[in-house]
Amino acid sequence: MDLPHYPINDFGPVMNGMVIGGMGIFHVFLAQFAIGGGLLMCYFQWLAQTGRSSAARRFLDGYFKALVLISFVVGALTGVGMWFTTIQISPRTIGMMVDEFHWLWATEWTFFCLEIVAGYAFYRYAAQLTDRARVTLLVLYSAAAWMSLFWINGILSWQLTPGHWVETGRVWSGFFNPSFWPSLVFRTVVSMTIAALVACVVINTLNGVDREARTELIHRAFLFLSGMALMPFLGIWYLSSIPEDSRSWVLGGSPTMTLFMSIAIGASLLIGVYAAAGILRKRLYINAVSAGMLVALAFGATAGGEFVREGVRKPFTIRHTLLANSIRPEEIAALRETGSVTNDPFPLPHAERYPTEQLALGAKVFRFQCSVCHTENGANGLTHLAGTWTPDQKRLNIAKLQHTKPFMPPFAGNPQELEALVQWIEWFDSGRPGDWPVSADDRTLEQIKRWLDEAGTEPAQQLAQRSAASVHE
Amino acid sequence: MSDLFPFRFPFPTAMYLTLYVLTLVVHVLLMNYVLVGTAYLAVVSVFTGGPPVQRQKSPTALILRDWMPFALGATITAGVAPLLFIQILYKQSFYTANLLLFHRWMSIVPVLILGFYLLYILKSRSIGEWPAAVRALVGVGAFICIAFTGYSWTENHLLGGRAETWPGFYAAGRIVYFHPELLPRLAVWFFGAIPNGMAMISWQLRFQARRDGALPAREPRRAAVLSLTGLALAAAAGIGYFLAMDENARAAVTGAPVLPYLLIGLLALAAETAGWVLQLRATRIAGTSLGLITAGALVAVLCASVLREEIRLVRVDVQALYEQHARAAEVGGFWVFLLFLVVNAGLIGWCVRLVGRARKVDSTGTTS
Repeated sequence: MDLPHYPINDFGPVMNGMVIGGMGIFHVFLAQFAIGGGLLMCYFQWLAQTGRSSAARRFLDGYFKALVLISFVVGALTGVGMWFTTIQISPRTIGMMVDEFHWLWATEWTFFCLEIVAGYAFYRYAAQLTDRARVTLLVLYSAAAWMSLFWINGILSWQLTPGHWVETGRVWSGFFNPSFWPSLVFRTVVSMTIAALVACVVINTLNGVDREARTELIHRAFLFLSGMALMPFLGIWYLSSIPEDSRSWVLGGSPTMTLFMSIAIGASLLIGVYAAAGILRKRLYINAVSAGMLVALAFGATAGGEFVREGVRKPFTIRHTLLANSIRPEEIAALRETGSVTNDPFPLPHAERYPTEQLALGAKVFRFQCSVCHTENGANGLTHLAGTWTPDQKRLNIAKLQHTKPFMPPFAGNPQELEALVQWIEWFDSGRPGDWPVSADDRTLEQIKRWLDEAGTEPAQQLAQRSAASVHE
Repeated sequence: MSDLFPFRFPFPTAMYLTLYVLTLVVHVLLMNYVLVGTAYLAVVSVFTGGPPVQRQKSPTALILRDWMPFALGATITAGVAPLLFIQILYKQSFYTANLLLFHRWMSIVPVLILGFYLLYILKSRSIGEWPAAVRALVGVGAFICIAFTGYSWTENHLLGGRAETWPGFYAAGRIVYFHPELLPRLAVWFFGAIPNGMAMISWQLRFQARRDGALPAREPRRAAVLSLTGLALAAAAGIGYFLAMDENARAAVTGAPVLPYLLIGLLALAAETAGWVLQLRATRIAGTSLGLITAGALVAVLCASVLREEIRLVRVDVQALYEQHARAAEVGGFWVFLLFLVVNAGLIGWCVRLVGRARKVDSTGTTS
């Protein structure tokens, strides 16, 4: 078995998922702003060159400056940062994604190059260009930006809904997966929404544009929000494309997922109401503060949506293929024999803190199997979640982890490791005393082994799939 | 021939190595421009000079201030492709070095964001009204951000090739790695960047002179002096780097698989040096010498990148990775990549042509 061991970093009270989630939400918001911004500018350029709006040209200059200064800089660098962050959290996940989709990622890169050249060419030379050249550059810029969404959307949606790729292993089966189209259309509408809301902020900062012209520009920008009317349908389409268990968590099965989903829906609804008023009432004016609040709401909606998208993949990072703790389901059986950290070459930092070898082993098991989603006693802290359980309860619940909670992966170690983890939680919960007895009861280990065998090595999703298939038969 | 880099490797490994090296060369050339450009701006923001020589308003400084944010954006974008291929080639060593350096490594993202904004401030008109000390701080700050990123990559690269140090490094909770190769290697990169970056700046000066009239004679001469100094210092740093290497790495650099690259690289450096010597005596930027310099720089960077890779290959057990490379090479999408590479390269060319044509029509307009 070729199980790579990487050094695992401790983010203290912050769970690893929050680190990647924070960076991800920020990056997605900026990237979607860039995509929608390109489309919006094409529209305003058309308004300007056809004489439909006299202030549109001035708006374009101001808006593009915002796009370049925010999206080209922070957006681009957080994109690179996403790769680095993903490496920090789960190098095996990003490694598998790169192996599988590197040509498509490289294709996306060619669009990045086009995007940056067309964008900067417009930024530097727009004032000297004919309308035809301006619109050409803007169309190229926005097409390239949207195509980058097209490619990355296929790769990210594959993680949750790999579709026929699981059987065929073919890149296009994975890319055009069940949630590809609903996700792509949904994100396009979101991009247009963000772009329109940022436009309202920019319009308020334009110099030499009177109130009447601003009102007209705001009304024009608000037309870009009309796609929001499709959001409920797109949301339903997306939900219907994701696996049943993931959907059930969003629809009440997991209070946290449902709460974040509700935040996304609620924030979108508020923006939608404002958008409807803006489209219907041509004279509606939005000042910079209100526009800023709407952008903040859109950020909240994006945050909620991205949290849900990341969360509903549990216990996998790549469904059916790689678990959140970077272990493949088919590796678990062997790890139950050999132990999951037996070959881990990375010692514990501050190993002297642990009074016994068993506790040090437990800490290593926690680091390898749990720390990607749990902290010791901070966010989603293991000692908070399991601290009140009796030792036997801990042994049973961890041994049958995927049955205890279906979004948890199966325990992937031997009975000695499980007992060490139980002792480590007990010790930690007791305030980490200097002395701690070693638990070496053979009967306990035999009982753990029985529970592990009863639980099996398959994640809950595969068990459910198999039992559904047997019912059909 | 079968021993020559990259032909001694199985086809998938050779293919990814070639793609990595070629995309890295593009990134390195742009990085050279940014590194030298920010260093130049840092110097002129501190040593501003006075009438009649106001260094901040020299044609070189004006061009750099104008182009630097775009150049940094282009450099980062160009860096995405080698970043992709390095993950296929050296998965575990690259990822482990990233993880070991932890916050230190991740800090390049906010540092680069800061550097980007400092470059935009340098480009703005309003900075001219700021106190001299603040202007100097902005100029030096931008350079430090870029130099820090270069330092971090070197540190990451060296740590990635030393698997034997990883467990101890991790257990000690260290996030800074030092190795005797670090400083001479950094010096090679920095000093070697000067002639390459100055070559690109000289092309810009030449285009500007053809459009707007003659350049002050000191501009091409200054570029030549800086480049020749850079070449001399890079050569000295190269010797220091060679001496700091372990025996295996030294043998790799002079070994048969890369010896032709070493010799061609040295010839390219000689051509680049000759070009700059010719430029030193000229009062204008001559196309012939600049062509020689550019060709020399391109070949030298390509050969240096191959040597750099060969050193890494003796430190990483690449044979153990053959199977992974072969598996990666089996996945689909290559033809789609090739198609869009050609199409998008054509569209990029079209963008440049559009802008070029518009500027010919209105050559009096100033860029903002």
